Amino acid sequence: MMKSASRTALILATALSHRSLNPNPITPFFLRTATASLPLISYTTTVTRRPPSFNLFCTSMAAGDSSPTSAAVEKQFDEFRYSLEESGNLRDRIKAVATEIDSTTRIMHSILLLVHQSRPIPEVLEKVNSQVDKLKQLFSKLAEIVRESPGQYYRYHGDWRTETQQVVSLLAFMHWLETGNLLIHTEMEQKLELNKEFWLDVEDYLTGICFMSNELPRYVVNQVTAGDYDCPRKVLKFLTDLHASFRMLNLRNDFLRKKFDGMKYDLRRVEEVYYDVKIRGLGSKGDVEGDQIIQES
Amino acid sequence: MLYSWASFHLHRHFSLLAPKSHRIRQLADSTMQGAGKKPRSVATESASSSSSMKESFSKYAEYLNQFNDKRERVVKASRDITNNSKKVIFQVHRIGKNNKDEVLQKAEKDLSAVKDQYIARLVNELQGTDFWKLRRAYSPGVQEYVEAATLCKFCTSGTLLNLDEINTMLLPLSDPSLEPLQINILDYILGLADLTGELMRLAIGRISDGEIEYAKKICRFVREIYRELTLLAPKMDESWDMKTKMDVMLQSVMKIENACFSVHVRGSEYTSLSGMEDANYALLGVSDFD
Repeated sequence: MMKSASRTALILATALSHRSLNPNPITPFFLRTATASLPLISYTTTVTRRPPSFNLFCTSMAAGDSSPTSAAVEKQFDEFRYSLEESGNLRDRIKAVATEIDSTTRIMHSILLLVHQSRPIPEVLEKVNSQVDKLKQLFSKLAEIVRESPGQYYRYHGDWRTETQQVVSLLAFMHWLETGNLLIHTEMEQKLELNKEFWLDVEDYLTGICFMSNELPRYVVNQVTAGDYDCPRKVLKFLTDLHASFRMLNLRNDFLRKKFDGMKYDLRRVEEVYYDVKIRGLGSKGDVEGDQIIQES
Repeated sequence: MLYSWASFHLHRHFSLLAPKSHRIRQLADSTMQGAGKKPRSVATESASSSSSMKESFSKYAEYLNQFNDKRERVVKASRDITNNSKKVIFQVHRIGKNNKDEVLQKAEKDLSAVKDQYIARLVNELQGTDFWKLRRAYSPGVQEYVEAATLCKFCTSGTLLNLDEINTMLLPLSDPSLEPLQINILDYILGLADLTGELMRLAIGRISDGEIEYAKKICRFVREIYRELTLLAPKMDESWDMKTKMDVMLQSVMKIENACFSVHVRGSEYTSLSGMEDANYALLGVSDFD
């Protein structure tokens, strides 16, 4: 049995290591040797009436508080900490760029909103196009940061996801205003000067297109109010095609699916406007042709 | 299309109530005369654009189909890993006072079967790509495997199985021409966090078997892991997930500590009372573990 002096010292040590949440606690007991060296009987026979302050904890600590495995454990966790700090920094930088993208898209959006106030489209487009270069720069900045951590595009993807969807929706709307066509995925990547290293996720692209569709009913309503009675037909044709195209996709029950489900309300609203105009004979003579095309698709 | 027909009917109905439409039409005709020729060109243009739209969407459809199928297969592989790793963990819990070698040998054998069969399948499904994109799909399985592997290692050697050691074992599963599947730090840490719960069960079982020293050894081990993870938890990619795991972990640590405390305080009574094999949990004041 131990001398009482060392016993107290050990109790103290135990108490201390408890308070500090046990910084170095593993003793070099290996399971089998531990159980072998700890026969229950030896306690029951040799120390039958121990005072409660003397206890199994002390004896266990008597084996020593330093551990050969502890250093290796510590080393691994130190490396983890370093690695996680590094990825955290990377993420912070990504978020900073994403915020810049967000504020640029807000500016662009506010310019584009002028089309609802019947400002001439070329004028609006010219104004908004001046921001596209800024977007390109921001995306190349983003690509540069992500390049530091190869193969981990999708680890950080969530941090620029919503911003990118917004960008897609604006650029697609601009392109549609200009040409009446859909800016397809590859064209969108070209427009933003993306590449194989930093690409545009297809689902983000599709979600962005759904956002664009949300913009169309309002546009149609305001165009008609401003006297453009041919607009509903064009928009309806476009949106019908777009909706039909989306129906080719097998979507999962995710955000994109939800957005796509919402698209039919845009379509319905545009149809309503179209028929309101048509039934009153406001549309142009090109109506007949337009109708045929809509019914074909 | 269904809703367009619905709207058709709706608006036909409305048209009966719109007697002024004729006059408005005349008005519109006169204002729109200038744009008479334009619609035709737009119409033909959009007809061709609609087919090109369909063309690109069929590419998206193909991509989505392939990717979703792959995800589905990865999820299945992950579920099998989870299932079979759980069996390994249960095997470890069959440990008793006198059958350790035997029980652990079987557990290790089963564990390597999980690796060679099920993790190999995951590796095969991933084909060296989408490790991060599909992480959510396979993360649960990998975490469970980490849990089983670290538990086995602790029971056989009393040490913590490092991430590097696990990843070295996984290397031979991957085709050398592809990027090998390596468990990432996050999944390893999340697996370790779950390990604590299993070790708590193990510790309580050992105490009831009279193996107090074993339980204390677990206690020290778990405390150290908890302490290390407190530093890492806020830096994790999805720290809210880790935060709940930390709370659960602390509960487990405290359960082990309380059990050890009970033995400590009532040590002499306990040992003299139960020189026999099995003391009951109530005596240890740990009736509330599960």
